[in-house]
Amino acid sequence: MKRKLALILTLAMVLSLALAGCSSKDSSTDAKDSAKHTITFLHWRGEDTEVFNKIIAEFEKANPDIKVEMNVLPSDSYIANASATLLSGKGSDVFASFPGSQFEALQDSGVYADLSNESFLSKFSESLIEAGKSDGKQLAVPYQLVYNIPVYNKGIFKKLNLDVPKDWNSFLKVSKTLKDNGYDPILFAGDVSPSQFINPMVMNNEPTDDAFPKLETGEEKLTNDWFVKTLSQIKELNDKGYFQKDPLGTKKEGAAALFAQEKGAILALGSYMMSAVKQQNPNIEQGLLSPITVDASQMKYEGIHTATFMLGVNAKSKNQAEAKKFIEFLTDPKIAAEYANGTGQMLTLKDVKYDSPELTESAKWLDKKTLFQPRYTLKKEQVSKAIETAVQDVLSGVEPEKAAKKAQEEVDRAIK
Amino acid sequence: MQSNNSAGKVIESNLGTPPYSSLQTKTKKRKVNTVLFWFILPGFLIYSIFYAGPTVFALYLSFTDWNGVADAYNFVGLSNYKELLTDSPIFTQSLGNNLKFTLTVLIFQTILSLFFAILVAKNSKKNVFFRAIFFFPTIVASVSIAFIWTFMYDPNIGVINSLLNKVGLEQLGQSWLGNQKIAIYSLAFVQFWAHTGQVLIIFVAGLQAIPKELYEAISLEGATKWQTFRHITWPLLAPSATIVIAYTTIQSFKAFDLVIAMTGGGPSHSTEILSTFLYHEAFTNFRFGYSSAASVIFMIIIAVITVLQFKLLKSDDVKY
Repeated sequence: MKRKLALILTLAMVLSLALAGCSSKDSSTDAKDSAKHTITFLHWRGEDTEVFNKIIAEFEKANPDIKVEMNVLPSDSYIANASATLLSGKGSDVFASFPGSQFEALQDSGVYADLSNESFLSKFSESLIEAGKSDGKQLAVPYQLVYNIPVYNKGIFKKLNLDVPKDWNSFLKVSKTLKDNGYDPILFAGDVSPSQFINPMVMNNEPTDDAFPKLETGEEKLTNDWFVKTLSQIKELNDKGYFQKDPLGTKKEGAAALFAQEKGAILALGSYMMSAVKQQNPNIEQGLLSPITVDASQMKYEGIHTATFMLGVNAKSKNQAEAKKFIEFLTDPKIAAEYANGTGQMLTLKDVKYDSPELTESAKWLDKKTLFQPRYTLKKEQVSKAIETAVQDVLSGVEPEKAAKKAQEEVDRAIK
Repeated sequence: MQSNNSAGKVIESNLGTPPYSSLQTKTKKRKVNTVLFWFILPGFLIYSIFYAGPTVFALYLSFTDWNGVADAYNFVGLSNYKELLTDSPIFTQSLGNNLKFTLTVLIFQTILSLFFAILVAKNSKKNVFFRAIFFFPTIVASVSIAFIWTFMYDPNIGVINSLLNKVGLEQLGQSWLGNQKIAIYSLAFVQFWAHTGQVLIIFVAGLQAIPKELYEAISLEGATKWQTFRHITWPLLAPSATIVIAYTTIQSFKAFDLVIAMTGGGPSHSTEILSTFLYHEAFTNFRFGYSSAASVIFMIIIAVITVLQFKLLKSDDVKY
């Protein structure tokens, strides 16, 4: 009997110790924080943590009754992990989300609080926050702006007296001149470029702006001329040797290193690479250009943009007012500039003063006619992956028609 | 039975009490067993919560169309299994890739680890040092290994192609991770590079357990090195080999981190294996039900292969 009692007591003690261990705060901290509203902020940009910590400190100084706890999840598992916690009702008060499939899944489940009447919306460029709207309501505000078009080396273009190409023929001519002069015309990252380069390649070839979403309803097919033509043009670039050697075997870091070493002239990624390249080669002068796949007269768009890092407030949060206050703080021009210049990110906000040549260069594209990234208009990731695989197949030597047919079969499986 | 001496009395008294004594012992044993049960409770709970529970839950989910985030889902019967087995070329391709990957790793890792184990089996300072060197990749984080090898494999700035160029073998240079035909073997190479040292330790332990007398006896018979290996070393290493082969097979089937970090399953699913297929279906395509069905099939495949291996290799087990 005594032994049983001792055993039960021991188990109870172990259990209580384990439960106490699960608690993250001590009682003194709890007492100190009880007067404050604590809001949690969830996002995927680990590289921005330092800048966000400074901004959060400024926010807490300006709002002594609010404490912000920042949680960062890795970007590759962010969608699944963040979505799961948000939908369980225990998610963060302020959270970032990706446009496209994640936004659609979350808004379908009523996770976002309506931000339509918030005064801070006027600080954003209206056209750039469309991705956060649903049924006329502004549910999230995209904070970052990315141009998903290639970066080019202005110095090499100047040296060879090359103008930025305005149509397909001039794009081929520029590529030839670069190759003839010993440069790799286009540096293609096998892991990332297939999903990036396809966007500007398709923007002027697709019959309508919603051709990608129509793939999911069966109204459009990847075997249609516009997509086969796009694949054929990618094949043409590959066959003519305008990509570097073994593009599919080159990773993003490798392609960026070749670009920073000025061995190649065009990096088939996006504006988000400019600050990383600059760190590797401070003397490089960079700009943005798009492959225009049609005649200049038929051009509909000059480039591709993505408004992402969509900030939303959890509809189930008890601290919605404080959460909105935090987003409003991030939209303050001074704070926005601190974030943009500290992280090298363009923002969707108006009146932000950028201090680096790369951001200033990107900012010029605000006035150009750009299309929201078609890939993010897809709701099903399988469809996006099928398109990416088609590009990889073509670069592996598969004929465009065959690659398109295989991709369409995968789309059919995804939407059935 | 009686005896006059003192010892005999003792014997008599002992012989006179067995029924009582035995009952008392049994009762004590029963009490002890009840208490001991509590000691396995933590392990049982951990196993149930983190292993058995999720396995049963995955089996349950495999009959649903749950997307991983929504509250609601439907029971779809066996349709996930039907789709996987009849209408999923990527699943079939992943299974094929997994077999190529596992067989390559199994053959090379077993042969190399055995070869090196024989070289470093004796406990000398030099051999202990080499064992540590071989074991070193095992303690390096797999993401670091993936990062290093990704750079080494780079066709333009990677050290492998650069070295081949320098020694005049540029024709052997490859797009190691970009060529769909060889990418899976490039990954298999990294896998056995990273884990050969780990299984080498198992072989070393097996080699050290073989009695020296057997080697002395066969040496007196005038056996060659190959005959010694063929008739003494290999048969007596069978238990270690069984462990190594089963472990390597399971480890290679479950390989995930290297593949995800180095190729993400690409290009064109040419390095997609079952574990990355499951991950992509669950966490990218939000098809948790479908992914759970794939994981059940995956589990069955591993179980069948492991049982077969144990049965086949058990016959080689030699007792001495």
